[in-house]
Amino acid sequence: MALRSQLLKGVLDACVMAVVEEQPVYGYELSQKLQAIGLPDISDGTIYPVLLRLQKNGFIRGEMRPSASGPNRKYYFLTDQGQAELEQIAAEWLEIAKPVSQLLKRGGGYEKDR
Amino acid sequence: MRKTDELIEENNHKRELLNVENEKVYEDLLLYLRTDLRIDEHAGEEILMDLLDHLVEAQEDGKSAKELFGESPQKYADELIENLPSQKRRNVFLFSASQVLGLTGWFAASFGMISLIVSFFRPVDNSIALGSLLLMLLSVMLVAFVGVSVIFKIIRSSVFQAEKKKWQAYVKAGLYGAAAFACVVLIAWLFQDFGPVIKLEWWLFLLIGLVFLAFSKLMYKWSE
Repeated sequence: MALRSQLLKGVLDACVMAVVEEQPVYGYELSQKLQAIGLPDISDGTIYPVLLRLQKNGFIRGEMRPSASGPNRKYYFLTDQGQAELEQIAAEWLEIAKPVSQLLKRGGGYEKDR
Repeated sequence: MRKTDELIEENNHKRELLNVENEKVYEDLLLYLRTDLRIDEHAGEEILMDLLDHLVEAQEDGKSAKELFGESPQKYADELIENLPSQKRRNVFLFSASQVLGLTGWFAASFGMISLIVSFFRPVDNSIALGSLLLMLLSVMLVAFVGVSVIFKIIRSSVFQAEKKKWQAYVKAGLYGAAAFACVVLIAWLFQDFGPVIKLEWWLFLLIGLVFLAFSKLMYKWSE
């Protein structure tokens, strides 16, 4: 269980940083974008502990700005440190993503056969 | 006004946009975060504002606080607290010092004013026992520190519970507060004339009090 949540944490961090890299966003926008990408389970409240963790590590920073709809919102930006971290995670992920998905698909078939 | 206080005030206004059900869940979360003295106050208020903005927008889209904070808001709050930066020592020191100075300042200023008013009607004795005064201040500080920690702990344990349990907790916290106050009164009564006695004019008390209050305000302002 601990390993599982560790793994999920890393992936979530990377997803959030990837969205922020594309364009600075505020919380609600971020959750909408993650939902649109097709990650409904990690979209709503789950992003805030992630945002806090990323800020604490210096990977993103927040800044108050007027939003498109009017009121001030806290927009999140990727820092240089975050950029480096994201590139590293992305490289590692791409290396394992394909073989792991293939392997896990087979694993599911094996379960069924039994 | 401190930036943190501005956030708190904005939060007070914005909360009115929530419907009854969402407001209840949100206010529980708010109380739970604010009574945690370990976390950095400003960072705490920032995330509370983020969550409030999110909840207001989600509400417009027909979603509920449950969908945002999950089935267990307390678990969610603990996860937030775990990832929030901790309160800086500098701020803790400045805040405590501002409270102590403020308390002493109020005491001295009111003492000066009262003795001025009383002096119109009858001669007053402006002498004060330094030992008793110091003991009184120390006991107030100690009682305030222990009292706040205990009372916050009681409140925090009941935040996400049903109304009945909350009331029980508030009564319990109130009793603790009353007992703490009684302790201070008892100490003041037991040690009435203790240590060297000084005699000051009423305006000197007032002046000292005002200077203390000014420093207290300044330190509060620096405490973020």
